[in-house]
Amino acid sequence: MPERNTPQKTLESWKQIAAYLDRSERTVRRWEATEGLPVHRREHEKQDTVFAYRHEIEAWSRLRTKTPNENSIDEAESLSPVKPATNAYLTEHDAITRTMHCYIAGARAGNGDLMRPAFHPSATISGYCQGVEYSGPVEHVFQWVTANGPAPNINPRFARIEIIETIAVVHLEVQRWSGKLAGANARASDVFTLLKWNGEWKITHKLFHWHDQ
Amino acid sequence: MTKSEYLTEYDGIVKTMQMYIDGSKQGKSELMRPAFHPDASFFGYAGEQLAIGTQFLFDWIDKNGPAPKIEPRIVSVDILESIAVVRLEVAGWSGNLAGSGVRMSDLFTLLKTPSGWKIIQKAFHWNAAERGLAA
Repeated sequence: MPERNTPQKTLESWKQIAAYLDRSERTVRRWEATEGLPVHRREHEKQDTVFAYRHEIEAWSRLRTKTPNENSIDEAESLSPVKPATNAYLTEHDAITRTMHCYIAGARAGNGDLMRPAFHPSATISGYCQGVEYSGPVEHVFQWVTANGPAPNINPRFARIEIIETIAVVHLEVQRWSGKLAGANARASDVFTLLKWNGEWKITHKLFHWHDQ
Repeated sequence: MTKSEYLTEYDGIVKTMQMYIDGSKQGKSELMRPAFHPDASFFGYAGEQLAIGTQFLFDWIDKNGPAPKIEPRIVSVDILESIAVVRLEVAGWSGNLAGSGVRMSDLFTLLKTPSGWKIIQKAFHWNAAERGLAA
């Protein structure tokens, strides 16, 4: 593990990340915003810089599944790039939704490892599943998502994002859950609590409620 | 959820939050412990240090001692069937560890259990420098 952080293992700019994936900078920025491409940030006084771990990018590439919207996403190539937010609230808001998209990408692909970077190492989960209460380490989510398999049609909506300096709460409504464990067309309400930790927003707790079908 | 069901759940949640507030005010963690789920977690920065775990909170409350002038305000209560989110703002914190006149912003998540609503996580942001009306 110690070699994980050596410079050879990291890509140090959007340009390098784009070159590594053989796509334009615009495309990889969009993948980060909407598909959970694992990009990290270092905080600086004026402007943050980005970097990515090759092993995380490779894992993401391997696991990225084709979604029904793939074609429309590719058409977005011709759209103008999203400008970085200039106001402090939006900067944090964007960073939080990026973390959440990492979770969503893992849920969609049916791969727990893909969503792991979204969580704090000490994160926990709680909630009821079929009337039985479960509380425990987040590892259970990763196992569940992997066992559930792909859920290509999930439709996640941000019902609420509230930020208080270093902490935040996100209410995510997910419709059309499917898979080996979720069944078909299930609906979940999730409340995530996040912490800004080493300059990145990480989920510390996932509270869930599965709605009766 | 009908209006009367909502009010019943709302009252249950506020009752649980009151145990937390009473424990904070008197500096006695034993008063707030029943409000917490056995698997509850606790997250936030105490200065530069990241504090994790409800034991940290309970120890802190006991060491801090009474904070008789805290002004707690429940800013929002959101209930989604078996789960809930409460935002609590507490001004006027004082005590052995808190100093004086500090403010705490809290996000509590709660789970409905057979023995009532229980806090499953408390995330906090400590506002060290109070710039309130008194300043």
